[in-house]
Amino acid sequence: MGKFKTDKIESSVNWKSMFREWGMIFVILLIVVVATIRRPAFLSVSNLINILRSYSTIGIAALGMAYVIIGGGMDLSISSTVSLSAVVTMLVINGTVIEGVSPAHATFLALAAGIIIGALVGCIGGGIMAAVNGQMGESFIITYALQIIIAAVANGVVGGKFQAAGYKSGLFKQIGMGLNPVIIFLVMAVILQIILVKTIFGRNLYFLGANMKAAKMAGIKTRQVRFLSHVICGICAGIAGVVVVSRVNSASISQGLNYEMDAMACVAIGGTSLDGGSGSITKTVLGVVMLGVLLNALNLLGVQANEQLIVRGAVVVIAVVLDTLNKKAKLKEVAK
Amino acid sequence: MSEYILEMRNIRKTFPGVVALDKVSFKVRKGEIHALVGENGAGKSTLMKVLNGVHQADSGEIFLNDEAVKIKDTKDAEKKGIGLVFQECNLVNSLTVSENMFLNNLRRGKHGLINWKELNKITQDFLDSFKFYLNATDKIEDLSSSQKQMVEIAKTLYKKPAIVVMDEPTSSLTTGETEHLFQIMRELKAQGTTIIYISHKMDEIFDMCDTATVLRDGQVIETRPTKDFTRDEIVERMVGRSVEAEYPVRTCEIGETVLKLENVTRNGIVENISFELHKGEILGLAGLVGSGRTEIAEAIFGAEHYDGGIIEVGGKKVQIASTADGKRNGIGLLTEDRKETGLVLSYDLIRNITVTNLKKVRNGFMIDSKKERQVATELAKELNVKTPSMMQIARNLSGGNQQKVVFAKWLFSDVDILILDEPTRGIDVGAKYEIYCLMNKLVESGKSIIMISSELPEVLGMSDRIVVLSGGKKAGELKKDQFSAEAVMRLAIEN
Repeated sequence: MGKFKTDKIESSVNWKSMFREWGMIFVILLIVVVATIRRPAFLSVSNLINILRSYSTIGIAALGMAYVIIGGGMDLSISSTVSLSAVVTMLVINGTVIEGVSPAHATFLALAAGIIIGALVGCIGGGIMAAVNGQMGESFIITYALQIIIAAVANGVVGGKFQAAGYKSGLFKQIGMGLNPVIIFLVMAVILQIILVKTIFGRNLYFLGANMKAAKMAGIKTRQVRFLSHVICGICAGIAGVVVVSRVNSASISQGLNYEMDAMACVAIGGTSLDGGSGSITKTVLGVVMLGVLLNALNLLGVQANEQLIVRGAVVVIAVVLDTLNKKAKLKEVAK
Repeated sequence: MSEYILEMRNIRKTFPGVVALDKVSFKVRKGEIHALVGENGAGKSTLMKVLNGVHQADSGEIFLNDEAVKIKDTKDAEKKGIGLVFQECNLVNSLTVSENMFLNNLRRGKHGLINWKELNKITQDFLDSFKFYLNATDKIEDLSSSQKQMVEIAKTLYKKPAIVVMDEPTSSLTTGETEHLFQIMRELKAQGTTIIYISHKMDEIFDMCDTATVLRDGQVIETRPTKDFTRDEIVERMVGRSVEAEYPVRTCEIGETVLKLENVTRNGIVENISFELHKGEILGLAGLVGSGRTEIAEAIFGAEHYDGGIIEVGGKKVQIASTADGKRNGIGLLTEDRKETGLVLSYDLIRNITVTNLKKVRNGFMIDSKKERQVATELAKELNVKTPSMMQIARNLSGGNQQKVVFAKWLFSDVDILILDEPTRGIDVGAKYEIYCLMNKLVESGKSIIMISSELPEVLGMSDRIVVLSGGKKAGELKKDQFSAEAVMRLAIEN
């Protein structure tokens, strides 16, 4: 009885699971097609490069975010870290400009400042997380509070003032020129992907995110791994701050606004579960490209910045919903 | 009307790549206690999940009182008078017993508000009527794991089902509590309730059940009244071959002291525990549930902090403050809950095995994936892990094979002292024997084992020496010539 019928059901289930797994990418591709039909320029090389250029800083921050999320945590403080890194970088550069030129040593000083600030914020967040042996829930609250605190610090550093670049040329300007931000993003992605899949720390991070209790009972130093994941995330945000200053030639305390949201969106769109324990940097790079393409397509279709914010938020929600459905379906499949 | 309350006819259920149930026909008489036995993965749980509406069969029919029914979901099953006592805990820890009992059917009183006073009283009356010895207003988190199991049972019984399915209800119960559960079952039977009883324990099946159905590989092998079965016959039908002796013998020299505990204390949990473990020895750690066996093991491994006392490894005093410390000192702990803390179920076998000692497969800073796969595969083969591939995720393995993977994981770590917490819980007879052989092989190769077990025959059959705990204290130590079930129990109930 009903052999034909069951076959039919199974094939429709497969479609469903296809959609759950790749639904987000489908929708984005659809938007790309619509955008291309309406504005053929959308798929041009120059536009694609433009997309990569403008989203590479968010991308750099998203790489660090991916680490924290794979470890089963979250870091909402990165928006403020980017801002703080940006304003301090600008202070350093403007303080060392000689006759309208930023000298090489100033560039390294600025880069070091960005990295150190990022690492410091990561140390604070990661340190508290390690101390309380926290997971996802704790990380939300702790890093959110940290976001507020660091934003206030950034504001205090420059007295809320917008800073324009005091240089017209020099090595620092090069960081944000042309494809350089893209190259920095990709090089960091390659390094971080290798660390993630090829080192013991990377493997331990996956275990931490998948099952913290099991990780502990396997003799993994869970607090240490958690701490490091936040430090790496902070460093990425710090570097993002430096690159964005060089690219836009100015710095303000709202430089990093919504970075945490966008980074989360990139990680989620790429297919990394916000539950932790799965995903990768490669997937996150795909997510960055996808988010960039999506927002650019919306631009071309005449969707305003404010409405775009709605889309960005919705993207994260949809990604989480799809991920949850996907997990449930998979569990059902293997349940005996 | 026929004498059968339930008949499942030609039930077939497949999952991607597996036939879980193949033309299973299963009949249960009204008012009997019917044992459903079989190795893990034989299909017992799947069959019960089909009955309970968790799974829908691909084909086949279900009759209740000779009436063909379709069971859409668990709510539907409940309505039709089928109650399932879950094996795992499905209670909300932060709520009270009565809150949990009424979680799904809260009745509103005056003004649409819930009258907790009344519900608590109803709950208490119900609990007392079955002599559950539970307090309706106690929070679940304050209960022991066996008491939680009792709440699960009470929760199911409160709905007055005509058929109660119990899936290994005694696996976390002590002997006394098991006896208490049996009393409840007898009471239910007297009231005319039908019980389907899933268990691995032969004694329980023969003591309690009227009929037994043996499942193997998704098929019914035989149904007979238990009085017409012998123990060996059931086991043979379960495993499909004749069984060897229950506990394999080993020839093993017991050597010098490798681990020494001196007055180890965890405040309020275990107090002044002292014992020694020798090279090549299996030390049984016995006691009732809650006597502090797992708790002392956690302290030795570094999973929990100990407040006082001295731990010596290889004659040297060591400080064990974390699980990493434990591992570094050559101590490994196979936890009692392999699904929650022993394995990452969503990860493949390779990753699960190598996690304890990735340094061994590292080349410079990088993990050598080829070497990793090779070493893990060899270990899995050596331990006879049955899996289609090493890339299989741990969740898809049967309980016994999962446990072998946990063993592989700790063998990979090269630790010398293994603490096994309930190493054979919930695994089938065939796999149990393999685990025992493996334990023998380990001590013969010079490792030492501390085995925690609630199954007395296992403790008596496998140990060289037994330390009995009671109420967080050491109640005594037994040498091989002093071994007897009575001696262990006498010490276990000392406090």
